[in-house]
Amino acid sequence: MSGVPPSAKKIEIESLSVSYGQRRALEDVTLDVREHEILGIIGPANAGKTTLLNCVNRMTDVIPGCRVTGTVRIDGIDVRKIGDVNALRRRIGMVFPLPVGLPLTIYDNVAFAPRMAGVRDRATLDETVERCLRQSALFDEVKDRMNDLGTRLSGGQQQRLTIARALSMSPEILCLDEFSIAVDPVTTMRIEEVLKELRRNMTIILVTNLVQQAKRLADRTALFLGGRLIEVDENAVIFSRRTADARTFSYVQGLFG
Amino acid sequence: MSSGRFRASAHTLAAERRQRVAKGVLAVATALLVLPLLGILGLLVVNGWPALTWEFLFTDPAAGMTAGGIYPAIVGTLWLIGVSLMISAPIGVMAAIYLSEYAGDNWLTRGIHLAIVNLAGVPSIVHALFGVGAFVLFLDLGTSVLSASLTLAVMTLPVIIASTREALASVPLAFRHACWALGASRWQTIRHIVLPNSISGILTGVILQVSRAAGETAPIMFTGAAFYLPFLPASVRDQCMALSMHLFTLSTQVPNVPPAFPYATALVLLAIVVAFNLFSIILRSYLRAHRKW
Repeated sequence: MSGVPPSAKKIEIESLSVSYGQRRALEDVTLDVREHEILGIIGPANAGKTTLLNCVNRMTDVIPGCRVTGTVRIDGIDVRKIGDVNALRRRIGMVFPLPVGLPLTIYDNVAFAPRMAGVRDRATLDETVERCLRQSALFDEVKDRMNDLGTRLSGGQQQRLTIARALSMSPEILCLDEFSIAVDPVTTMRIEEVLKELRRNMTIILVTNLVQQAKRLADRTALFLGGRLIEVDENAVIFSRRTADARTFSYVQGLFG
Repeated sequence: MSSGRFRASAHTLAAERRQRVAKGVLAVATALLVLPLLGILGLLVVNGWPALTWEFLFTDPAAGMTAGGIYPAIVGTLWLIGVSLMISAPIGVMAAIYLSEYAGDNWLTRGIHLAIVNLAGVPSIVHALFGVGAFVLFLDLGTSVLSASLTLAVMTLPVIIASTREALASVPLAFRHACWALGASRWQTIRHIVLPNSISGILTGVILQVSRAAGETAPIMFTGAAFYLPFLPASVRDQCMALSMHLFTLSTQVPNVPPAFPYATALVLLAIVVAFNLFSIILRSYLRAHRKW
């Protein structure tokens, strides 16, 4: 796509370790995310999946007692050397496991980030809001009540609102942290179709508890266990008998985890 | 046979009995709490009501306080509430926002927190002494509405900070995280998400705390409240009368006061405090009904 070699590195994670106080959450993780790929990240609770995402957009800055060593580079730039962390976060869409509708109208939820970035023009905002709500498969359900509170939507709708919000700055990277935890299967499928579309314009990290979701969507999948990266490879390898690590095979097969 | 499986065992019967005893004891404690309140109210109404006329509310004291009314004291108390509110509300609210939304958890902020908690525990007479030393003498503001209001403000600041932080904490952390992840700055998050959803709670707390301070006598006695003044304060540099001070005067300092006067004065003071409380309660229930999440 647009002349980018398929293996261009969008995010380079090198020797990344994170601890919260005494507890080690990530242990010496080295991992690349390629441009325009969907990287699936699977693993049981406390594997360090969410922590990894928090390192990418530096939400680790606001977690008390959190210590980060190692580097995360986006387009070759060390994220911890970026002076304006808000500029970094605007380039990275983040979707949390539980839907967080801000206590604003549906319209204002999606227009929030552009407005905070200084966009005032009503037509531009209108266009952004509609585009994002369409992309997150929510537009048809809310187009007649854009001034209703976002927090009054159902859980599944709120999660799609959250995704629309994450897309509002046209981010280069989209991080999804178990987005389907509060969404029904039908909506999940619709969002998965959306993600396949979005991959053309952005790089997606998909943290998921559903092994099958990673299998369906991701180009490559990484398995994390207890803060360590066990294996990362093309899906054709991860979901086969040819895995490098026996634990990957048994986790994917549902034999433990 | 049919009821056998659901028959209570001796153990559950005993648990049931103990539960009734515990509930009874707790209910009695609650009743004991309400009794003094009703007692105070009853005493004030029965003894003070006869003296409570329009004339009593809207005329100056006369004939060595044995006649006339309490108008200057009512006005003075409202002055003190208003001016101390204007001082303590902005400072307290801004400090609370800083402490809750910006300051990290380190030895300095823990020290500040400890200082605030201790300040809240300082007896009002000690605040009065501080007020005399700092405002009346050192800053040379004299005994004035300003000195008295500053003293009241210092006294109410810690509780205002505490209630404001509580209101800020009622806005879920997840909202802040969502905003930060979208690239909004801390101030943008506070300005657009946190404050709009906590401002009513903040105001409620502020009003409640300041109206409570209105009943204090010690802090204003030496800093700005007068025994008797033939005029109303025209500026914050004037002295004023105050209901709490006037009540103290009527009860202990002046002979031949009609017995209903102190009770009626207390009733008016109570009514002002209750009015502020009521306003807060209405504000709070309005806020609950218009919650956005």
